[in-house]
Amino acid sequence: MVADQVRAGGGEQPPPPARPRRRGIGWAQRLEILALSGPAILVFCTFVILPVLLAGYYGFYKWKGFGPPTNFVGLENYRTIMQDQAFREALEHNGLIVVLSLVLQGPIAVGLAMLLNRKMRGRSVIRVLIFVPYVIAEVIVGTAWALLLQTNGAVNDVLRSIGLTWLAQDWLANPKLAIWTLLLILTWKYIGFAVILFLAGMQNIPEELAEAAAVDGASYWQTQRRITLPLLGPTIRIWGFLSIIGALQLFDLVYIIWGQYVASTAGTSTMVTYLVNEGRNAGNYGYGSAVAVVLFIISMVIALVYQRFVLRRDTDGALTGGR
Amino acid sequence: MAAVLALSALGIAACGGGDDDDSSSGGTVTMELWQNSTTGPGKAFWEKTVADYQNAHPNVKIKLSSIQNEDLDGKLQTALNSGSAPDIFLQRGGGKMAAMVEADQLKDITDSISAESKQAVGEAALKTGQVDGKAYAVPVSILPGGFWYSQDLFKKAGVSTPPATLDDLNAAVTKLKAAGTPIALGAKDAWPAAHWFYFFALRACSQATLDATAKSKTFDDPCWTKAGEQLKAFADTKPFNEGFLTTSAQQGAGSSAGLLANHKASMELMGSWDPGVIASLTKDTKPLPDLGFFPFPAVPGGQGDPAAVMGGADGYSCAKDAPKECTDFLNYILTKDVQVGFYKGFNSLPVNKEAQAAVTEPYLKAVLDAYNKAPYVSQWLDTLYGQNVGNALNVGVVNLLAGKGDVAGIIQAVNDAAKKG
Repeated sequence: MVADQVRAGGGEQPPPPARPRRRGIGWAQRLEILALSGPAILVFCTFVILPVLLAGYYGFYKWKGFGPPTNFVGLENYRTIMQDQAFREALEHNGLIVVLSLVLQGPIAVGLAMLLNRKMRGRSVIRVLIFVPYVIAEVIVGTAWALLLQTNGAVNDVLRSIGLTWLAQDWLANPKLAIWTLLLILTWKYIGFAVILFLAGMQNIPEELAEAAAVDGASYWQTQRRITLPLLGPTIRIWGFLSIIGALQLFDLVYIIWGQYVASTAGTSTMVTYLVNEGRNAGNYGYGSAVAVVLFIISMVIALVYQRFVLRRDTDGALTGGR
Repeated sequence: MAAVLALSALGIAACGGGDDDDSSSGGTVTMELWQNSTTGPGKAFWEKTVADYQNAHPNVKIKLSSIQNEDLDGKLQTALNSGSAPDIFLQRGGGKMAAMVEADQLKDITDSISAESKQAVGEAALKTGQVDGKAYAVPVSILPGGFWYSQDLFKKAGVSTPPATLDDLNAAVTKLKAAGTPIALGAKDAWPAAHWFYFFALRACSQATLDATAKSKTFDDPCWTKAGEQLKAFADTKPFNEGFLTTSAQQGAGSSAGLLANHKASMELMGSWDPGVIASLTKDTKPLPDLGFFPFPAVPGGQGDPAAVMGGADGYSCAKDAPKECTDFLNYILTKDVQVGFYKGFNSLPVNKEAQAAVTEPYLKAVLDAYNKAPYVSQWLDTLYGQNVGNALNVGVVNLLAGKGDVAGIIQAVNDAAKKG
């Protein structure tokens, strides 16, 4: 909006004061910028940009990882990826996880945040309990759930001993169930993060608004619906962004719980487990690099589209220069 | 991930050029040795072996590095690519070794293996270290596979003799399942499941077919389909522990080795590293007292020899630029006394035939017996056919056992893998 205004009345307005000042940057200031941002840029280029470029390079070769790559195959690796049933399945699982993570975690987290935003007994204890799963390392969580949910694990033992034998299932290996088991674990694990974000967002909403609404006779639910939720919008949209990126790159929990191979059989494979399996485990480093490039492009496109269409109104001032 | 790995390979390659390995120039020679035992008697064995060798050869200094088994392959690959490879290192053979040879990273030691070593080890075992008739590694230990079983549980279920044919095995499984002790299978790790397919293929396919497939990497001989169908028929009798798809092979009491160690399962199909793994998982971490071994039973109608054995051989290689003392050290670790020490340190069968006389455990003797009776020994098929095909076989067999795929799916998976590698 700010940008539009500027463009609309561009001719009459004086040029923004930032421009002339920038032209006059002194050597001391340039040195300062270089000293402060140099190390970060160097690290970023070495460990982010260069690997991406190298993956792009290796992706054109069939390469076992011993010696320099020599067998140039052009786009053949990419063609194989597109035709591979296992990759398509992984992509579907990723899509499902992206959508259902938002659908499951969003409403539950907003509800919990509303609850925890009210003054009540034991509030901090509940806050801690909800946040604990997020703090525990993925490997520990994965190992624990893998042990609990085994066919002969504790969950089924409990179900059998309280007479719910019919409910005892092969939670991990049954292809019809496994993806739901995964979503349940993901929700349990990451809901705390969403709740904390939303709580912080609610703290930023001025209390006067709720008070004014109360004076006008609004009920609690009306206040939440008309004031809290709309003002929480930016927080929810940022959380959605983080959740989508996390879901696209989901790896550790699946790899720990299902192991290297059973994930694709059980229907919980993701693009990254596919990448590790076909790249590293199979020793096909060229092919694996191509998969990494595809994964990078997919994540990049989704991130940019989300930025453009969903986050735009929140980041308008920050990204377009503005005032 | 691959990108990071690729980066590290390049980064080190860029600065590794000036760091040439010392070549022998009459004076003191320093060599680096990488092995995979980080604790206990295995590590002690290497320390003693290196110390003894240095005493006998004062001009040679060997720097011993103990590297965690799971880390070894990755570190080694990076080191080899960067030109900073250790002079002597553990070699797992098969497709990986072939890739190292292709990248010109290994020393050709064909003419350096001494007559004594050849005599002590024998042609068949030495073959595991060869690519296209040239030697690039010497084996130190043989690790044939077969069934590891609990003699007590077999007796309790009324199985008096170890099964010698597939029918025997089926009958035994029926009795053992009735007693609540099925076959343990750690299919979460996939390779233990794939081993079942390999052994059926060993019986169904002739030696010539196995060797030809190593070159062509195409699985169009009908014996492969037959092996798959036999495995499917066997799996349909539900012989494995409940939840085998989410059972790991070696980690904890719930793993397949753990089930056997705690008498929850009666047997498992595994390589001869298994006694050590089982021992570490018993309640008192002592070897399982009633552990026994029998080879994979004969399967009627196949082209493979019913007594053929499958197994691997861990060996040691010299890097391309290692000094010539490296091969001398390789000959040294094949001598009888060192090999006896190796057996005691690792509880694993030594490759030196004289040292094999020192083996006392009845189950290891049973392995030796099967090994020496075998008309030929095949490498583990995933090692033989390389990581890429092995990986695809893992996926295909797990799908088959889970009821998701069929036999044609295994063959398809292998052919798909060829496009990726």
